[in-house]
Amino acid sequence: MKAPSFLSVLVLLLVGVAHALSSSGSRLLVVTDDPTQKGKYSKFWADLEGRGFSITFESPKSDPALTQHGELNYDHLLILPTKLKALGPALTPQLILDFMKKEGNVLLALSSGTTTPTTLTSLLLELDIHLPLERDGLVVDHFNFDAQSAADKHDVLLLPRPGPLRQGAKNYFGGDGLLAVPRAIGQTLGNASPLLAPILPAPPTAYSYNPSEESEALEDPFATGKQLSLATAFQSRNSARFSVLGSAEMLEDAWFGATVKLGDAGKTKTANQEFAKALTGWTFKELGVLKVGHLQHFLRKGSDSLSANGTEVADSELNPKIYRIKNEATYTIELSEYSVDHWIPFVPATSDSVQLEFSMLSPYHRLSLAPVRSTSNSTIYATSFILPDQHGIFNFRVNYKRPFLNNVDEKNTVTVRHFAHDEWPRSFAISGAWVWIVGIWATVVGWLGFCGLWLWSAPRDEKRIVKKRN
Amino acid sequence: MPGKTEPINGSVKLGSKESSTAAMPASLKKPDLSSYFSLKSLKLKTKQQELLIRVSILCLVYVLAFITRLFSVLRYESMIHEFDPYFNYRTTLYLTRNGFYDFWNWFDSESWYPLGRIIGGTLYPGLMVTAAFIYWILRFLHFAVHIREVCVLTAPFFASNTTLVAYFFGKELWDSGAGLVAAALIAICPGYISRSVAGSYDNEGVAIFALLLTFYMFVKAVNTGSLAWSLASAFGYFYMVSAWGGYVFIINLIPLYVLVLLITGRYSMRLYVAYNCMYILGMLLAMQIRFVGFQHVQSGEHMAAMGVFFLMQVFYFLDWVKHLLSDTKLFEAFLRITVTTAVGVGAIALGVGTASGYISPWTGRFYSLLDPTYAKDNIPIIASVSEHQPTAWSSFMFDFHILLFLFPAGLYFCFKRLSDATIFIVLYGLTSMYFAGVMVRLILVATPAVCLISAIAVSATVKNLTLVARAKNKVAQTGSAKGSSSSKGSSKASLDQSQPFQRNVAIALLLGAFYLLSKYATHCTWVTSEAYSSPSIVLAARGAHGNRVIFDDYREAYFWLRQNTPQDAKVMSWWDYGYQITAMGNRTVIVDNNTWNNTHIATVGRAMSSYEDEAYEIMRSLDVDYVLVVFGGVTGYSSDDINKFLWMVRIGGGVFPVIKEPDYLVNGDYRVDKGAAPKMLNCLMYKLSYYRFGELTTEYGKPPGYDRARGVEIGNKDIKLEHLEEAFTTSNWIVRIYKVKPPDNRW
Repeated sequence: MKAPSFLSVLVLLLVGVAHALSSSGSRLLVVTDDPTQKGKYSKFWADLEGRGFSITFESPKSDPALTQHGELNYDHLLILPTKLKALGPALTPQLILDFMKKEGNVLLALSSGTTTPTTLTSLLLELDIHLPLERDGLVVDHFNFDAQSAADKHDVLLLPRPGPLRQGAKNYFGGDGLLAVPRAIGQTLGNASPLLAPILPAPPTAYSYNPSEESEALEDPFATGKQLSLATAFQSRNSARFSVLGSAEMLEDAWFGATVKLGDAGKTKTANQEFAKALTGWTFKELGVLKVGHLQHFLRKGSDSLSANGTEVADSELNPKIYRIKNEATYTIELSEYSVDHWIPFVPATSDSVQLEFSMLSPYHRLSLAPVRSTSNSTIYATSFILPDQHGIFNFRVNYKRPFLNNVDEKNTVTVRHFAHDEWPRSFAISGAWVWIVGIWATVVGWLGFCGLWLWSAPRDEKRIVKKRN
Repeated sequence: MPGKTEPINGSVKLGSKESSTAAMPASLKKPDLSSYFSLKSLKLKTKQQELLIRVSILCLVYVLAFITRLFSVLRYESMIHEFDPYFNYRTTLYLTRNGFYDFWNWFDSESWYPLGRIIGGTLYPGLMVTAAFIYWILRFLHFAVHIREVCVLTAPFFASNTTLVAYFFGKELWDSGAGLVAAALIAICPGYISRSVAGSYDNEGVAIFALLLTFYMFVKAVNTGSLAWSLASAFGYFYMVSAWGGYVFIINLIPLYVLVLLITGRYSMRLYVAYNCMYILGMLLAMQIRFVGFQHVQSGEHMAAMGVFFLMQVFYFLDWVKHLLSDTKLFEAFLRITVTTAVGVGAIALGVGTASGYISPWTGRFYSLLDPTYAKDNIPIIASVSEHQPTAWSSFMFDFHILLFLFPAGLYFCFKRLSDATIFIVLYGLTSMYFAGVMVRLILVATPAVCLISAIAVSATVKNLTLVARAKNKVAQTGSAKGSSSSKGSSKASLDQSQPFQRNVAIALLLGAFYLLSKYATHCTWVTSEAYSSPSIVLAARGAHGNRVIFDDYREAYFWLRQNTPQDAKVMSWWDYGYQITAMGNRTVIVDNNTWNNTHIATVGRAMSSYEDEAYEIMRSLDVDYVLVVFGGVTGYSSDDINKFLWMVRIGGGVFPVIKEPDYLVNGDYRVDKGAAPKMLNCLMYKLSYYRFGELTTEYGKPPGYDRARGVEIGNKDIKLEHLEEAFTTSNWIVRIYKVKPPDNRW
């Protein structure tokens, strides 16, 4: 059990030394129709290439094939704003969804300046992400804007880097500094899908409107305040990632480390570069990737510790198919998290914990797993519990699904059987049964005694008769 | 006819030699051979001749009973039939492989997912243990048989043994002639054959043997007052309890019989010994069967036996007091007080026991036996089983043929010569006939009684007729001898006068009886070969040119499951196919033929009758990987899931009121064509049955999508499946298997 993990560590280390890599591959396809755009993002590309991505640039007109013979040609896809109305037959929404089904990751950068192609709006609709109807809405905020570049239009938003989505959620996008979000398209997210999470919610005072409408007063904004998301994350069931960035301009060289001025405060440098790194890092699976290592459950004997190093439990006793009711079982799971270029021990956010369910139709136990040990690249979580007094086919299930983290859904089916006929306590071991045992034996002895007495005592009368006759 | 034979009947007591030889041809139709053989070649005394003939007849009957049940093996192959036998086969296999203790403690995780089933505690192990025992013995003797062959032939073997028991029982009831006739009748009676052909490896196969054996030994015990016979009947009862749930019939019939004897003033010490020993020991033995456990003292169905047991003691006590008290008046007063208190105490005990929940009330199955309409209104899961339907007259005729009118004749003879034994058979016959009328499957229980009573009629009639036909000289002697007795003399005289004429009539009647019996034999053989020898897992039909077409779709589907699905795949189907899927497909099922959990079955029924997306949620919660439906629209196979569908709706609706039967009906009509109810046309069962059926032309000159089982063009030809995909459809479309897709990546 130890050798493979050691090998994998070695391999990982070697790979990590060679050059940093995403956990799911390094081939990145950038779709852009304008060769000049390439230059505008040079810092961004340099950043990505520095992290080990090999970037291919293709125009949608050249019909870049995402897959070939059922295999992915690229691991990641980045679509920059184009002026085209549609992205051609190679990049239909269905094909992009299929790309995600094969665990390809997609980063979609939109811009208010260019009309979003129908391909992309319908793709977003499939994921329950909604754009303004006119497809070129603009987010403005009259309180948080860059006084230098958008003193008039208020369409360059300045906001702090986002905090955690909610309590107990990990935050991969936070940090110091201000983000400049120029000319963004705001998205609204459907409520139904649990797979969606806003990365960068708009400030409460922001709203989205249609700049092509010339009227002075805004009658009917598309969405306002927190309804709007400037960058959105979608993680599909197979943990393929898809993120939408409302403002492609954010990634341009011009805004990387540009100086901005928020209201009366002094000039500060933007943190766009760091944010871009976090966003691409998350989307292209450098961050928030969880891996389940060894997963073991076994019968707990005596009061041994919860360790799962296999020294105390023989291999043959690991992961048995069958338990008995009221057995004490130990469950351990090894979790690692990928951090940019290597696996580190996974630690959940504060006030969050990894939980184990022991369920048949519905959970009979839901227990928090406690970290018992930590190796250089994984944490081992474990718990021990007494199996319920109910036979059936149960699942050990760790269903750990948190925003921005890989879905972990591990199910181990085991049978929990009833007591066998010779596993019950013997009757004399139960003090309450003594009354009955005494009763039984009293009856047996009494019966035998009675029989003996009956056989011993011959009838008197007959003897007399016999005597009389004699 | 009976009127004429009556006086002679009175004079003939226990088995005269001629009568048995006369009864023999009727039963076997080989009189010439055996009598020629025994008479000519060997100079034997009449008694020895008779014994020889009797033994040879019994041997022939024994063999006949076995070979008449082999039609299915010859016509198809040595295979297990139907549904329940597959479970029995699977458990027997487990027993022979893993030994008895593993079998006893077996927790089966392949059925009733995710509840599982404790096999050892929820089955009657008698059949499996018997088969395994036979298997081990054969193995020990170095007969390298496969356990399947043993299972296939267990039922015929026990049917043969039943004929022996029937012989002894008939001998005990009437005479050895009646016994021989009973053995011959029961050997080929279709009512029994239906459950004991080769391959029908079901509990009933051995249970009827055990039932008759228990009854025989009990009657023997009552007749002799012997503790040994009573003990033997207790063991017979134990075997019966271990083999079949029908033992409840025994434990209620015997007390009823005892009660009748008490009421008719036939209480005797013999009865006291027989019943007490049998009840107490039988009860203690039966408690060792885990599935039965404490029911003998705790369930309402067994309370009658206990009540009668206590009543016996009261009787005994009264008898003793009567013996001591010489004053009749005093005794009458005492009697009144004792009986009132005894009945009162009994009633109070029963009331308190029931109210406190110590004594469980009668189960639904028991109620449905007493009241045929009960199941229909209250327990759809019992009413849905075809063999639980009330019996039609035609099936009585089909299963009993001439026995149906020989039965009343036999009852007449029994009443004519009332004894403890005949009272028993009369009670057995009447009660079991009632139950046979309530449920089709209980014809089986009535069959031995009907055969025995009919055998009495046949034997007595034939014997009397042959006596009349043969006793040319004797009649004169007996007539003169009896002529001295006053009243009978005149009738005898008239008999004598009409003697030549009477002889001819007797011969004619004998010929008539032989004709009827030979008709019975042909009927039985025909029924066995045509109706009861099909394995129902392989279907046969006649092709256009009169050739035989075999539909082996079930096994095709189950082997597909076995070969092509993951080891731990869960298959959802209607419960009928559960046992077969686990036994042949070796895959986990959600529900099966052991219908112990109504809610679980109702959940499956609900999934089948819901729209696809609702059903998908249910299937996800049950971890279903595959859905299996049986569809007869292409072949015209009528017992498919669409025809069973209303039961799924009813059973599902019984637990989940969201499912309403009227939603699937149009003006009370069940239809699948264009006029069908919209919910019907879009429910999961309809979709799975008719998926892509609209593209298929099944019959020349009919539109595509013509359902041959129901004779209509289906109403929804454009079926799209969202959460399921077709995985496999057998060559004749009888079994269709669908895979449940994982949830969409983006939802």
